[in-house]
Amino acid sequence: MSLMKLCVPGEKLCSAEDCIPGAGTYLRHGHIFASLAGYVLQKNEGEEPPVISVIKETEAQLLPDIGAIVTCKVTSINSRFAKVHILYVGSTPLKERFRGTIRKEDVRATEKDKVETYKSFRPGDIVLAKVLSLTRIYISLGDVQSNYLLTTAENELGVVVAHSEAGVQMVPISWCEMQCPRTHAKEFRKVARVQPEYLQA
Amino acid sequence: MFDIFKHKVGDVVLPGDVFSFASLAQDSRMEKIICGPGLRRNGDEVLVCKSGVLRHKPANLFWVDSQQKRYVPAKGESVIGIVTAKTGDTFKVDVGGSEQASLSYLAFEGATKRNRPNVQVGDLVYAQFIIANKDMEPELVCIDSCGRANGMGVFGNDGLLFRVSLGLVRRLLVPRSEIVKDLEQLFPFEMVVGMNGRVWVRAQTTQQTLIVANLLESCENMTAEQRKLLFRRVADGC
Repeated sequence: MSLMKLCVPGEKLCSAEDCIPGAGTYLRHGHIFASLAGYVLQKNEGEEPPVISVIKETEAQLLPDIGAIVTCKVTSINSRFAKVHILYVGSTPLKERFRGTIRKEDVRATEKDKVETYKSFRPGDIVLAKVLSLTRIYISLGDVQSNYLLTTAENELGVVVAHSEAGVQMVPISWCEMQCPRTHAKEFRKVARVQPEYLQA
Repeated sequence: MFDIFKHKVGDVVLPGDVFSFASLAQDSRMEKIICGPGLRRNGDEVLVCKSGVLRHKPANLFWVDSQQKRYVPAKGESVIGIVTAKTGDTFKVDVGGSEQASLSYLAFEGATKRNRPNVQVGDLVYAQFIIANKDMEPELVCIDSCGRANGMGVFGNDGLLFRVSLGLVRRLLVPRSEIVKDLEQLFPFEMVVGMNGRVWVRAQTTQQTLIVANLLESCENMTAEQRKLLFRRVADGC
């Protein structure tokens, strides 16, 4: 594997006799052209001719898959759902912010119809959630919007960090309430239960 | 602890004024004080957030009485709204706040999916907030928790809608309000008061309606004696 250079879509990389086209390239008139903008990567596989491909980033992107625990930040709330930006998958940060939705029915496991989004999340909260599914919306060729459907319907999922209306980080006091240490005001959130291994005795 | 506050009751306070209890002896700090609108606790101090007059209600409630014309929606308040648009299953209502509130067409007494309420764009509605906070779009309903209208809904075929300050609205809504009692002596009229600073009146003739509207608008900055004098002059004049 050797990193050659940067290329733009439409750039001629090499002739079809030298290499086999890989990902991000196409074959036209006996030559290999790039179809993405990025780094040109040439993989030598022993006896077969090398595979030439174009990749966007030097490292592979980690995508959240179904059942993964993700850390996300709430961007807006609605009476039916909350919109979030997914920041971390497990413990690896993502380079791009994926969008997610937590529906009202998926906030809690019990009493699903009595959930009020305003009493579970607020914009700016950091939430631990689990991925239920992914929907891809194809707006036009080459333009895809992906939306992850998330759930917090478990004891260990929910709000981890939240700031009060005074701007101070709040302390959880039960599974549904957090308190501000400065104004002593209580606010409702769907709080995640702290894992025993993270508690410092 | 009380004394620090009681000292200032009736005085004008400004945002940034601090009532500090850190200098008091430990045992005299154990009294409970309820901070109303305009006051906020900040650790060991109480900060003033709005400019106005500090008021006190016996037991231990303190708050700042402030003047404001801009309305901020709050849950449970009854307001007068103007219907601006019909979108799908909801109406968009202008309540004088930073965004328009939504009013579902099922939130009227006796409304079902087939039996839609008769609400047109431009109608006045008297409704109550069920959701009103800074993070979400405010929502109104025209029924109470039992499903009855309780005076809410569309109103106002004739009459006049005008704006007053929020302080005057609160004075009008006090039970057995002085201003309303004085006005009743003049002539009979109907009045709807919304907590967003909007008042609607209707009297028997247009002239009387206009007189009532002007009197209410002028009550803003008058003392009780000036008001009684003015009302007496109007009563003599009619």
